[in-house]
Amino acid sequence: MAGPKSSKSSSSDTSAAISTLWKSYVSQTPDRLKFIDSFLVFIVLSGVVQFLYCVLVTNFPFNAFLAGFSSSVGQFVLTASLRSQVNPENRPEFKEVSPERAFADFALGSIVLHFFVFNFLG
Amino acid sequence: MIFLLSWLLLAASAHAATLSVQSPRFTISAADAKQLRSDTLSLTKKPEPLTLSPTDTLKLTFQITTDGEDGKGVQPHQTFLRFYDAVSGEEGIQPVRVTPGGKAKFELNMARPPASIPPTSSAPLEVSLILGSFVHDPAKYDLFDLYIPASQPAPTHADAAMFSPRPAIQHTFRPAQSLPPKAVSALFAGAVLAPWAVLLGLWGKVGISVPHLFAPSIVPFTALLGAFEALLFWYWVDLKLGQVLLYGAVLALPTVFAGKHALSTTGKWRAGRK
Repeated sequence: MAGPKSSKSSSSDTSAAISTLWKSYVSQTPDRLKFIDSFLVFIVLSGVVQFLYCVLVTNFPFNAFLAGFSSSVGQFVLTASLRSQVNPENRPEFKEVSPERAFADFALGSIVLHFFVFNFLG
Repeated sequence: MIFLLSWLLLAASAHAATLSVQSPRFTISAADAKQLRSDTLSLTKKPEPLTLSPTDTLKLTFQITTDGEDGKGVQPHQTFLRFYDAVSGEEGIQPVRVTPGGKAKFELNMARPPASIPPTSSAPLEVSLILGSFVHDPAKYDLFDLYIPASQPAPTHADAAMFSPRPAIQHTFRPAQSLPPKAVSALFAGAVLAPWAVLLGLWGKVGISVPHLFAPSIVPFTALLGAFEALLFWYWVDLKLGQVLLYGAVLALPTVFAGKHALSTTGKWRAGRK
């Protein structure tokens, strides 16, 4: 059972840890990965907004919701896998996968995903 | 043989003969044997409708003869009284016993009605006499209308509903879904577009440079990827599935080669930079 004092100190610990994490992210992450991360943030935000619209207002063109939300989810998965494959830190994990190969996979996967998304969009 | 022939001759001569009903008469009496109504019946004109209360008794007497009033009494092979309810279509057939001399007497006691009386309502029963014979022409006489106390309604057969028109099927549909008000739609459209601003802002902050975007080896690949997206957009707007698959297959071939060329070029740049 943590008292108010310890919870305060732990919250300051947490904020310190978060700021340290943020600083090391900003200073150590390559710009290319930041570029991909910005795209990931964009995908998460737009997916959340679409889901909120579906829950709060209406799911009326349900196929449109499915298309939009699934495109967010699928694009997030594809982009995350691209990011993990082009990350220099993961180089030992993906010896056979060059960044170009990863980008080709990403492009092919995106085209297939978008085909299904437009198919659903009605 | 001769006997048979004479019998056939007799039958042929008698075939033209007709049956007739002589002195038909009805009597309605109460439970205490008091006569309430009594009259002769005309075979051509119906009398006033007869009415029986639950305790009354109807007596009907007549004689069946051949060929006019001076003919002899005859016993037809079949003698029936038919009780018919024209409204409900129910009918009952009651055989009448006829003596060999042609005299017939029928008694209907409403305290103990026979099972052949059909279910009745407020409509009268049409009572007719049906005579059938092998050697005479058949005959049917409409005698009178008869009011008797109403019975239970006629039972319907368990399967009767199967053989009658079923009620029309009423489909109920869920009400059509409606779009939310324009203001709400516009608000959320703005909210969905807002992440684009976040994306562009973050990209501007990251400040990545793409010096080779318009290099001759890269442009075809990006252009063909853009063409794929345009094709899919066109699919949404207009195209059919088969067309999209055909155009996509056609587009895939140059895209594969352009992509291979572009990515091997970037690979060389990456190797040279390292």
